[in-house]
Amino acid sequence: MASPKVAVLVFPGTNSEVETWRICRDVGLDSDVVHWSRAQTLPDYDAYVLPGGFAYEDRIRAGAVPAHDPMMDYVIEAAQGGKLVLGICNGAQIVLEAGLVPGTGPVRKPTAAFTKNGPVPHFVCKHVYLKLAVDPGRCAITAALERDAVIPAWAAHGEGRLAATTDHLQEIVDGGHLAFVYAHADGTVDERATPNASALFCAGLTNKAGNVLAIMPHPERDAWNFNHPRRREGTDILAPSGGVKLFSAFAKALKS
Amino acid sequence: MRSFRVDGLPDEVLRQAASQAGLALRVDELRRIAQTLGRDPSMVEVHAFDAQWSEHCSYKSSRHHLRKLPTDGPTVMQGPAEDAGILHLGEWNGERYGVVIAHESHNHPSQVVPFEGAATGVGGIVRDVLCMGAEVIGIADPLRFGRIDDPQSHQRYVAQGAVDGIAAYGNAIGVPNIAGDVYFDERFDDNCLVNVVALGLIKESGIIHSAAPPNSAGWDIVLVGKATDTSGFGGAAFSSVTLDEEDADANKGAVQVPDPFLKNVIMRASYRVFEHLRERNITAGFKDLGAGGIMGCSAEICSSGGFGAIIDLDDVNTAMKNMPPEVIAIGETQERLCWVLPGDVTADVLQIYNEEFSLPQIARHACATVIGAVQQQKQYVLRHGDEIVMDVPIDFLTGTIRDELPVRAMSERKVTGAHRRYIDGEPSIWALLPQVLAHRDVCSREPLYVRYDGVVRGTTVLPRGSADAGVIAPLHGSPLGVALSVAGNPRYGKVDPPLAAEYAVLESVRKVVAVGARPLGLTDCLNFGNPQNVDHYSELVHSIDGLAIAAKELGTPYVSGNVSLYNESKSGNAIPASPIVACVGGLNDVSTVVGAAFHRPGSTLYFIGTPHNAMGGAVAAELLGQTGGPLAPIDYEAVRRQIAFVLDAAQRGTLLSAHAIGNGGLLAAVAKMAFLSGNCIGASLTTPFGISAGAFEFYYGECTGWVVESAAELTLPDAVRIGMTTGPDYEGGVGIEIDGETLDVDELYEAWRTPLVEVYP
Repeated sequence: MASPKVAVLVFPGTNSEVETWRICRDVGLDSDVVHWSRAQTLPDYDAYVLPGGFAYEDRIRAGAVPAHDPMMDYVIEAAQGGKLVLGICNGAQIVLEAGLVPGTGPVRKPTAAFTKNGPVPHFVCKHVYLKLAVDPGRCAITAALERDAVIPAWAAHGEGRLAATTDHLQEIVDGGHLAFVYAHADGTVDERATPNASALFCAGLTNKAGNVLAIMPHPERDAWNFNHPRRREGTDILAPSGGVKLFSAFAKALKS
Repeated sequence: MRSFRVDGLPDEVLRQAASQAGLALRVDELRRIAQTLGRDPSMVEVHAFDAQWSEHCSYKSSRHHLRKLPTDGPTVMQGPAEDAGILHLGEWNGERYGVVIAHESHNHPSQVVPFEGAATGVGGIVRDVLCMGAEVIGIADPLRFGRIDDPQSHQRYVAQGAVDGIAAYGNAIGVPNIAGDVYFDERFDDNCLVNVVALGLIKESGIIHSAAPPNSAGWDIVLVGKATDTSGFGGAAFSSVTLDEEDADANKGAVQVPDPFLKNVIMRASYRVFEHLRERNITAGFKDLGAGGIMGCSAEICSSGGFGAIIDLDDVNTAMKNMPPEVIAIGETQERLCWVLPGDVTADVLQIYNEEFSLPQIARHACATVIGAVQQQKQYVLRHGDEIVMDVPIDFLTGTIRDELPVRAMSERKVTGAHRRYIDGEPSIWALLPQVLAHRDVCSREPLYVRYDGVVRGTTVLPRGSADAGVIAPLHGSPLGVALSVAGNPRYGKVDPPLAAEYAVLESVRKVVAVGARPLGLTDCLNFGNPQNVDHYSELVHSIDGLAIAAKELGTPYVSGNVSLYNESKSGNAIPASPIVACVGGLNDVSTVVGAAFHRPGSTLYFIGTPHNAMGGAVAAELLGQTGGPLAPIDYEAVRRQIAFVLDAAQRGTLLSAHAIGNGGLLAAVAKMAFLSGNCIGASLTTPFGISAGAFEFYYGECTGWVVESAAELTLPDAVRIGMTTGPDYEGGVGIEIDGETLDVDELYEAWRTPLVEVYP
C-alpha cells in the first residue's frame, strides 16, 4: 500500500498550519498544506487535519462560517466514508460546527458548541493536560494510546467551553463521545485543571464511528522537550515531548 | 490642480490658512516649499509635505541627536536605515541566519481608541519585519498606563482596551507574544504608551531591502492589501501634536482600522512570494505602508534607490468612489505594502496574492495591483484623472530636515558617597515584602498576558512569566535560540532621565543574560513630551546620551528604533522620560537556556552584582513615602565582568535558575523564583557581611544585578553567597526565611497574584 497522504487544511484565517504539518511529517506521514484555493485536490488525501487559527475571523461563532466552506464538503464526505479527521482548536470548532462531532444530529446542525470561555469570557493561553476518557479503541485515532493516557498540550483559545442542553450532554456521555477531558499531570480531573469551565471538563469529542476527533488544546505545541514547561533535568531538549504521542497514534491508525 | 496659496500672504494669515486646512506645517516650512517649487504647492503637495516633514516621519528634532547611538558591531547585518534592523544569530546548514527586529509606538491612537490603536500598532510593526523578507516569529508589548483604580475611568478603559487589541491582533495573525512589561503611573493618565516590538527570522541570502534595486527604472510599483479608504488621514501629523480632550472625536478619524484577518492572509501570501522570488533569483524592493500612506512609502522606496516615481492614483483600489486625491495618496489605511518588481514577475506576484490567496474574496476590494512605475528622473509625480496633482523633486520630499531646538545643560549630578544612606530610619525588611509584591509595578502580570497566545508556531521555549526574557527556538531542528526582553522604568525616568536611559539598556541586557543568552543588539523607542518645551526636549537629548553611553559600554548596537514625541496633553500633563529598550539575545544551543523558577531544594543562592545605598525610584522607597535619593551610578567594568561570569556559568550548565533584580529588588526576585516553582521551593537567606550597602538597601535596592541558583560553588568578587533553596517543612509549608524569620510563600503568592485580577478578570 502506498504511504497514506494527509492534508493539513488552511482556511482564510488559519494560523497553525506550519507546526501542525511539521509534526505530521515528523511522525512519518506524507503531509501537505492545502490552501482553500486548492480545495478540489482534497479527495486525493487519506486523512485530514484541521489546524488552529481564526478561520473566517471567528465570525458569528468560532467555526461557524468555515463549516460551510467548500473545503468542508470534501471533509464531510470523507468523514462519512470513514476517513480519519483530526480537528485541533479552531479545527475542532469547525469539525463540531460541521456536525461531525459529537455527530448526534444532522450535518452542519451541531448539537453542542465550543463557545466563549468561562467563567470570564476571554482568550486563555495556558499549559494543560488532556486525559483520554474513553476506551482507547473507541476512537481510531486514539487506538494506539494506553488507557487513561495523559498528554501535555497548550490551551490557547477564547471559545473552548463545551456547552449543550442537558439532554445533549447526556447523549455525549452515553454515546461515548467524550474522548478527552482536562486533567492535572497526575491524571486527576477537576475544575482547576480546566482552563475554560468546559462542561464535563471536556477537552475533546469523537463521533459515533470513532474516525473523527476534535480536541481544543494543542498537543503540537508541546511537541519537543523545549516546549514543555516542566522539563526534567538532563532531557534532550530537542527530542520529542509528550504531545507527539497523539500524532504517533494518528500515524499508526493511518498505517494500520 | 487646486493649489494652496503661500505667495504674498502675511505670516499670520498663512498660519491660519494652514491650521484651517489641518496642516501642522509651520509658516517657514510652507515658504520653503513654495520657494523650492517656484510656485504655490498643490493641496496634495502640502499634505504630502505635512506628512513627510512631520516629526513622526522626519525625526526633524531628534535625528541629529540619534547619530550619537552606536549602530555598528560584529552582530549587525542591517543597521537602522530601513524598516527594521537585522542581527546575526548564527549558522545552520551552511546558511547565516539573522533576527529581524523593529520597535514602534502607537501611543496617541491608543489613548483615543485603545483597542484599534493598539491592534494597529501590532499590525504596523509586523509589516516592518515582514517587508525585510522575513518570517515573523514573535512580538512584545511594553505598556505604560495611567491610574486604573477607578473602574469608570478612561485610564482603565485604555488599559483594558489596549491589551484586548494587542491580543486580538497578535493571536489572529499567529505570532507568539513572548515579552513585554507594564507600568502604571498618574503621569500616563492623559498619554498611555503602547510600544510594540516584532521579531523575524531570515536567511542572509533572503534579505529584501526597502529600496528600489539598482537598474530598476521602469519597474512596476505594486500596491498590496486593503482597499484605500478614508481612515487614518492625517495620522502622521496627528502623532506629532499634543492631545486635547476636546478634539478626541475629531482625532478618531485619524486612527486606522485594523484587519488582522486580512493581515494573516497577506503574511502567508507574502511568504509564498518570497519563495517565488528566491526560486527565480530576483531582487525586488518591498516596503510597509505606514505614515504618509502610498505617497510616503512609494517616495521613500524609490528615493532610497536613487530614483523617482510616477504613480497613477486612479489605479489605486479604493473602498469608495470619488475620494479626494490627497486622501488616496496620504491616508494611512492599514494592511498595505508596496513592491517594486521587474515587469516580467509582476503577473506571477499578482497571481499569488489575487488568485492563490484570493485577497479580493478576503476583504472588500482588497488586492494586489500595479499603481505606477519607478522612473530615472528624480521627480515624484502623482496623477489623478487628467491632472498632475503632485510633481516635486523626490529628494526634497524625502530628504533630511532638521529643527534646531534649544537644549538646557544637564544639572550637575550630586556625587553620592558610598556610605551615605538615603532611607530614613530602620524599616522592617520582613513587614514590607508583602506590600512590595502587591505593588502595581511588581505584582503578577499573568491576568494580562494569559490573553495573549504565547505558544503559536510551536517554537516557544520560555513563555512570558517564566523568565526575564522570552525565548524561542524559531528554526525547526536547529538548536539556535532567540531571547527577547524589554525595559524602561518610568519611576527612574522621574528621578534622572539620562541615567534612567542607561538603566533601560542595562536592565534589558541583564534580562537576556539571565536566560543564558548573548546580548546581540538593541532597539529603542523614545517616548517623550513636546520638544518645543525646553525641559522635555532636554530630557530627550540627555536620554539619548544615556542610551549611547550604556550601549557603548556594553557593546550592544542599536539596529532599529522609533521616536514618539508630543506625549503631552493640552493641560500640560506630560509623561515622564520614557526611553524603552528591547534587547535581542542569541543562544547557540537552547539546551543551555536558564529559567527563573527555583529548581531544587538544597542548592546555593548567590547575588551577582553591585549593591548600593541609593534607592531613587525604588518601589520600597515609594511605599515608605520616601524619595530614596538618587539612582545608583553604574559601574560598567563590574557589569561587563558579571555578564561574562553569568553567561559562562550558564554555558557550563552550572546555573539552575536566574533572575535579574528589577522592580521590588532582590527579595521580590527571590519570591518570584519561589512562585515559579509552583510554591514548592522556598529559600533561606542570610544577610551577607561586608557588602557595600545596608541590609534594607541590599534587599530592596533595584537593578543591582541577578539572583542565581547554582549547582556548583561560584567564586568571584561579585558573586556573594546569600543562602540556600529549601523544600517544604515537616508540615508541608514552604517559606522564605531571612535571618531566622520566615514568611509563608503561599501568603506572599496571594499578595502578588491578585492585584491586577480586578482590572483583567
